[in-house]
Amino acid sequence: MKRNSIISIMLVLMLILAVGCTAEQAAPPEQESEQEQAELPEVPETPEVEEPIDEFNSQILFNGSSTLAPVIASISTNFIEGFVTWDKVDASFPEKNIAVYVSAGGSGQGVKSVIDKTSDFGMVARTVKDSEKEQLPELQEFLIGIDALTLGVNPNNPVLTVKDDLTKDEIVKIFSGEYKTWKDLDASLPDKEIIVVTRDIGGGAHEVFQSKIMGDVEVKADAIQAPSMGALVTKIIENEYAIGYASFGLVNQNLGKVATLKVDGIEATKENIIEGSYIIQRPLLAIINGELTEPQQAFIDYVMSEEGMKVVEEMGFVPAK
Amino acid sequence: MKDFKEYIFRIIITIGAVLSSILVLLVFFYILKESMPFFREVNFKEYFFSDSWKPLSSNPSYSFLPMIGASLYISFLAILIATPLSVGCGLFLSFNTNNKYSKIILSFIDMIAGIPSVIFGFLGLVLLVKFLEKNLDMVTGESVLAGALLLSVMLFPYIVTGCTETFVKGKNIYYAASQSLGVSKWYTMRRIILPFARKSIFVNMILALGRAIGETMAVMMVTGNSPIFPRLLGRAETIPSLIALEMGTATYKSLHYSSLYAAGLILIILVLIIQVIAYMINKTGMRRIR
Repeated sequence: MKRNSIISIMLVLMLILAVGCTAEQAAPPEQESEQEQAELPEVPETPEVEEPIDEFNSQILFNGSSTLAPVIASISTNFIEGFVTWDKVDASFPEKNIAVYVSAGGSGQGVKSVIDKTSDFGMVARTVKDSEKEQLPELQEFLIGIDALTLGVNPNNPVLTVKDDLTKDEIVKIFSGEYKTWKDLDASLPDKEIIVVTRDIGGGAHEVFQSKIMGDVEVKADAIQAPSMGALVTKIIENEYAIGYASFGLVNQNLGKVATLKVDGIEATKENIIEGSYIIQRPLLAIINGELTEPQQAFIDYVMSEEGMKVVEEMGFVPAK
Repeated sequence: MKDFKEYIFRIIITIGAVLSSILVLLVFFYILKESMPFFREVNFKEYFFSDSWKPLSSNPSYSFLPMIGASLYISFLAILIATPLSVGCGLFLSFNTNNKYSKIILSFIDMIAGIPSVIFGFLGLVLLVKFLEKNLDMVTGESVLAGALLLSVMLFPYIVTGCTETFVKGKNIYYAASQSLGVSKWYTMRRIILPFARKSIFVNMILALGRAIGETMAVMMVTGNSPIFPRLLGRAETIPSLIALEMGTATYKSLHYSSLYAAGLILIILVLIIQVIAYMINKTGMRRIR
């Protein structure tokens, strides 16, 4: 009896699988966005972007880049602690508690969440791609800051005794695996493998590095992929022979533990980044599809204010204003 | 009145059963649906017989083979390390300590299973990877070996708990008889209990294997996540790590996105096969004992 029931359950499963294959082709595309929402149950039901004032929405949801998330989270904490209820922000707002939710899942996730309306704002640490813009007809971008990627090595790395500058060509050769050991870079260096640390290949950071430095050349397959920028910097701090593109912000937070190399003779300083002469950099954006509601506008105004920009700078990024 | 109560109760449990099975099917169905564009677009040969994973390159290639290899390699190695230790531990607990102590020890072992995997990953990164770097003269310690060692510690409680149960059962059946025949304890363990529990040990190994293949965080933190074919002291990337790393940043509805769902589908199928094998063996095994 028991055996029969298990076999029958498996049969049903197979059947549904088979039906699923054929039904899939006929399924109209409209259904996709509905099911998409079901995929992220932890995100509360998203309200319409445009709402009449009498249905005042006291929540603002952010989702996206793990680089930008701590910045927005920190700014929103200040905002909530400073004002508590919306009527303190603007007298015309009702007396409701301010709620700003920030969740991190990567830049791609940020764009995705705006497209499928599971969040109000997407946080994107790269430029928005054309293919994504097509799905966001009323896209608005807010530049919050600039993040630069520096070439970080361990302070004990022997390469520092020889040079403090890498040409673009040398960087490409290191990351593509053409230089296998440090000795290949400079004959006086030890014959130790170059441990290349990268972020995941689909991530915003990698994309910037790929387009600004590598071009069409692939990063070698046996590079270590760190699951977060923090893990990447930790790897550099712990391993003498590692090299990776560490975010400017995190390097500033770990001064003395990570040494940076110049790129084509230009150091990663705030001035060079704003001026644009230091090439490995990316914008930190908040994006939204459609018009801002009044509370959303109020929050974005706060982010762009002096206090908001101060937090961006404290986190080690270059503020937009 | 009593009938009515029973009727209500019956409806509730039926709804529960139906809902939970529908949920499983929905998950499966959804993953299948999302991975369909990939299977339609990409040739079968390409995702099994090409050798590199470059979903975002201008000349993209999608091969799951390195990840499938790495998942199986790390999991099997972990099971191989964990099983002898767990069986030894189980025998010790059921024969060489009195019941009171073995219960205390067992509850501590169970506690290992409750430690979040990210903690294991962190310890692995800080201790195990460093240890391998120092002692095996590796430039960097992230490797298949590190992943397998870490995973074996995580699997240990699962195998111990399962095996100990069977050992105690075997002890209750045979131990009094073998003692009255004057057979030594060690002989009983070796020649009677181990053969008796053979099937159970195997089933526990396979169930642990299913868990090992799905483990994400801890393995991701110590294997380096390079999509290349796994070698014992080389880096590797398992299927769960691949999904966890790239899903957040894959462009929505792109081929890369659905290829990750496809990887998930392959993972589910792998685990399903393992579970079915465990079920079949368990069934025949039990029949023989009776």
